[in-house]
Amino acid sequence: MRKAMMLAVCTAALTISACSESTDGEKISNTQVVDTEYPEQVFWGDTHLHTDNSIDAFGFGNRLDAEAALRFARGEEVTATKGAKAKLSRPLDFLVVADHSDAMGATKAIMEAPRIALLTNKFLLRWHDMMNESDEGSLQVTAELIDGAAKGTLPESLTDPKETRERTADLWTKHGETVDQYNEPGKFTAFMGFEYTSMPDGDNLHRVVMFRDSPEKMGDTLPFGALISQDPEKLWAYMDAYEKKTGGKVLAIPHNSNVSNGRMFAMNKFDGSPIDAAYVKTRALREPIVEVTQIKGDSEAHPFLSPNDEFADFGVAGWDKCNLSCTRDMPPESYAGSYAREALKRGLELTLALGANPFKFGMIGSTDSHTSLATADENNFFGKHSGNEANNKDRALAPQNLGTREGRFGWHYLASGYAAVWATSNTREAIFDAMMRREVYATTGPRMQVRFFGGFDYTADDMADLVKAGYRKGVPMGGDLSGGDGKAPKFLISALMDPESASLDRIQVIKGWVDASGKSQEKIYNVSWSNADTRTLGKDGRLTPVPNTVDLTKGTWDNATGAPELVTFWQDPDFDAAQNAFYYVRVLEIPTPTWPVYDALKFRLKLPDEVIKIQQERAYSSPIWYTPTA
Amino acid sequence: MLRQFLREPLIHFLGGALLIFAFFWATGTDRDPADYAITINETDIDRLVADWERNFRRAPTREELDGLIDQEIAEEIYYREALRLGLDKNDPVIRRRLFKKMQFIESENSQEIAPTDAMLEQWMARHPANYSLAPLYDLEQIYLGQISATTATDMVEQLQRGTSPAKFAKPLSLPATLHDATSEEISRQFGDRFAGQLAALEPGLWSGPVLSGFGVHAVKVTAKQPGELATLDEVRQRVVNDWSAARRAEQKEKALSRYRAQYEITVAGRP
Repeated sequence: MRKAMMLAVCTAALTISACSESTDGEKISNTQVVDTEYPEQVFWGDTHLHTDNSIDAFGFGNRLDAEAALRFARGEEVTATKGAKAKLSRPLDFLVVADHSDAMGATKAIMEAPRIALLTNKFLLRWHDMMNESDEGSLQVTAELIDGAAKGTLPESLTDPKETRERTADLWTKHGETVDQYNEPGKFTAFMGFEYTSMPDGDNLHRVVMFRDSPEKMGDTLPFGALISQDPEKLWAYMDAYEKKTGGKVLAIPHNSNVSNGRMFAMNKFDGSPIDAAYVKTRALREPIVEVTQIKGDSEAHPFLSPNDEFADFGVAGWDKCNLSCTRDMPPESYAGSYAREALKRGLELTLALGANPFKFGMIGSTDSHTSLATADENNFFGKHSGNEANNKDRALAPQNLGTREGRFGWHYLASGYAAVWATSNTREAIFDAMMRREVYATTGPRMQVRFFGGFDYTADDMADLVKAGYRKGVPMGGDLSGGDGKAPKFLISALMDPESASLDRIQVIKGWVDASGKSQEKIYNVSWSNADTRTLGKDGRLTPVPNTVDLTKGTWDNATGAPELVTFWQDPDFDAAQNAFYYVRVLEIPTPTWPVYDALKFRLKLPDEVIKIQQERAYSSPIWYTPTA
Repeated sequence: MLRQFLREPLIHFLGGALLIFAFFWATGTDRDPADYAITINETDIDRLVADWERNFRRAPTREELDGLIDQEIAEEIYYREALRLGLDKNDPVIRRRLFKKMQFIESENSQEIAPTDAMLEQWMARHPANYSLAPLYDLEQIYLGQISATTATDMVEQLQRGTSPAKFAKPLSLPATLHDATSEEISRQFGDRFAGQLAALEPGLWSGPVLSGFGVHAVKVTAKQPGELATLDEVRQRVVNDWSAARRAEQKEKALSRYRAQYEITVAGRP
């Protein structure tokens, strides 16, 4: 009886939080999480969320702290800063609160400081008064702060390392306590992390830094700021030092390469000198994954770089004209260093030149929300910052603080994305380790389940037991292939729709390789699609488009035009065993409405023609790389 | 008795003193506005020096310190003159500042306490839905595809008459049988809509159509264990978090409503 009860309790806890009985029949623990043999479940999370400790988030009005952010991510209802009730349709499994390390907590401190303490500092005093006076004042201060950070003109008391250290240490300790309080192994994972906000001349070199470890193990480690150095190699040195000192583990996630003006995946280092072997090795170790889709646009591909890809324009509008601060124009020639697919291709070329690949990364999505609310659903979107939360009826059409002159408006911001992680349990260790081995994928919000395995020994029959065969005879997404005796690699691929979102249009395999002349190439294969009896491939490899069923007057669509699930076995028909290559999967949903459409219905707005109203949401898997045997 | 008490001159005197005290307190100064004496004592000077050092990383020179003191005096003079002119009234910055100060005082007054097990158990009993272990289902399901309800109903009737499920099952990589599954786990795989329909199904019988985002399913619930309340140890961390968050919110609300009770509040258009 007791055993039966324990079983019941254990099963209830979570499928993966297994229970065990020791040989003498004593209950070990029902909260101890045991990892599964292989990753059976995909875990959903956001690695990039800002709270009121980020100087800009607080300045934009956010008054929700990390605790509120964690409660919201776990699925609880919170009241957003501007008063709307906020709740996720489904909880997330993990969260990295990633506040800007530079001047962390500073705006909050300036606003809440006793006025007397600021009397001798005219700069801060002015900000203090402006912030307390009105929301507009607070916005103005934030604009000045961002501007000051970009130009290096922030007041000394915000940038002074000693003073910053003292302020941050207090805040960081308290933050650690909150994060630990909400970390519940097997149920919900809360990570320690921060954002390193390097932005030379407004070119975005931002990274989220996340730790595998508990605050206790991290000891007196403090976040590393771009005010100390804008050079990412200095960040990697900090990460090295952290691991040596604590025996812990840490990784960095570049993001918003789309507004980096070609610098995120540049062929040279920060100081302009060419990439060398040491740089390659460190970067590959420190940056195993890249965030390719988020609120400020999508960085997978660009039509200029991939003219044959009819789906390359997703999340590009509004984000490809000027850099993050819109202080510099971005010519199309810069795009090659700004988009992930091109970076993966550059990585192959560099592998040939230097013997290793600095851009061997997996792909995830995350929100970059500055509202403490990790929302990525079109019909439940809380915007970039607290001025643009769900109850602001003007947000879709309003000019934004950065780049409106260049045509960047509210509707350009995406309700995107989330990180999907194939891990053996919902714990800091298992999720972090899955990220290190790149067994992750990105989605623009919907939670479709994507499996992708590569190997030389699969057969079409393996589709029947795809996951087991996938792991047994090959490697999952993020993995490496070599050998094969000249045979073309084979792939097992499946995509299951998100039952709360739209059905699926198609699965594509995107291949990059280096041709005989040493130049990288790409090709897109449509490998599985809905209604295969009526939709056919043209000579150019293009597929009959899936019908658009979006009803803009209701915000609905018809799932019957897509497939609930697509499963396929695919072998590369153009394989050359002598050429380095990568393969990744892109899964497209059928067309659905964008968030401004839901706003228009809710607030009775008329959206101008240029506003994008219909899109195909998608997932990007991490690549599988093929390297010829030497 | 009370009337007599109120006529007592001493009470009048004390009441008057209290009013004066309240005025100084409310106007945020401990100095009498009628007072034209300004004293800069050692503590004030120490503070000025400390502030300077924090900004410039060195002690002020004699000259600089004199400047600071003169500035302090000038500020104090204008501060008092401003109070005499009533410039502190109707100033949004001062209003917000005082609001913040009150909030701060209130949050300092509310003590953080460590909850006892009894308190936590009481909390759990008051919010059983949050800490119930969900009902556990054993079930079989087959996916019928994206078909009409009529076709699906017909298939379910055939299943009830003994037709083999294999005849209608379409492939979908979701489990055909579930054992001891919570509705949370079922939602995760099949979506909320599917999970929400299970409670109404009659056990031991093929039922449907059960709708999900994928399409239509037929479901046979083979066993169902009702949910029970978790023990405190199983959910302790969550209970402590919830209890503390609720207590903070409650104290904040209590503090405000204590004051609010003394006010008559009228809002246009609000009953």
